[in-house]
Amino acid sequence: MKQKFKRSFNELQNIVTMTESVFRKHGLDPNLRNVVDLATEELFVNMVTYNTESNEDILIHMGPHEHGIEVSLTDYNVERFDPRSASGVDVNAPLDERTPGGLGLYLVLKMVDSIHYEYRNRQSKITFIIDRK
Amino acid sequence: MMFEIEFANDGIVAVDGRLDAAQAVKAQAFLDQVEGKCVIDLAKLEYISSAGLGVLLKTHKRIMGSGSGIKLINVNHHIHDIFRYSGFDKLFEIVPANN
Repeated sequence: MKQKFKRSFNELQNIVTMTESVFRKHGLDPNLRNVVDLATEELFVNMVTYNTESNEDILIHMGPHEHGIEVSLTDYNVERFDPRSASGVDVNAPLDERTPGGLGLYLVLKMVDSIHYEYRNRQSKITFIIDRK
Repeated sequence: MMFEIEFANDGIVAVDGRLDAAQAVKAQAFLDQVEGKCVIDLAKLEYISSAGLGVLLKTHKRIMGSGSGIKLINVNHHIHDIFRYSGFDKLFEIVPANN
């Protein structure tokens, strides 16, 4: 299933609706939902927040992958940014040194099983797989 | 899908639904009014993203500045996983849900 979403946080509700539909259609393990929702939101929010030059919708594609799910997000008219190169977060730092910045991508990289990045013709495509027996 | 945050009768802050980037402003506006020790009941929180974590972190730091802090109760295992990956289990007093 694929669907385009406007560059707005208000689309998060519609993305969840799409995810619910994919899980129901393919009988996917509901225990994967939270990680799928988290990774999809964090990557979508990152695109909306940091690519302010584009007016184009963001394309999300979801489908089954062996024992789990594969999700890709494609952004258009965008500079290259490979989320795998995001700087880490010191999750052991004391409270007064902690800031929320960077936590979203950190969680994505920690919680998905694999993540891939493609950049071509100013199109940025991030694909992650959550595949657990 | 919705998100609600309110004071329960016992003064505990009760949240319900999904705390995502679209709802973080609402949660922050509510928690900005809280002074002193704050207990938040997460029994009905279905989901939290980094935006929601940011709200908790900002509020916790502000309240800690006056010598108190946030206690999170009835935390289900999905939410607890997020807290653990984030290192929040070392920053907050967390009471897991019974089931």
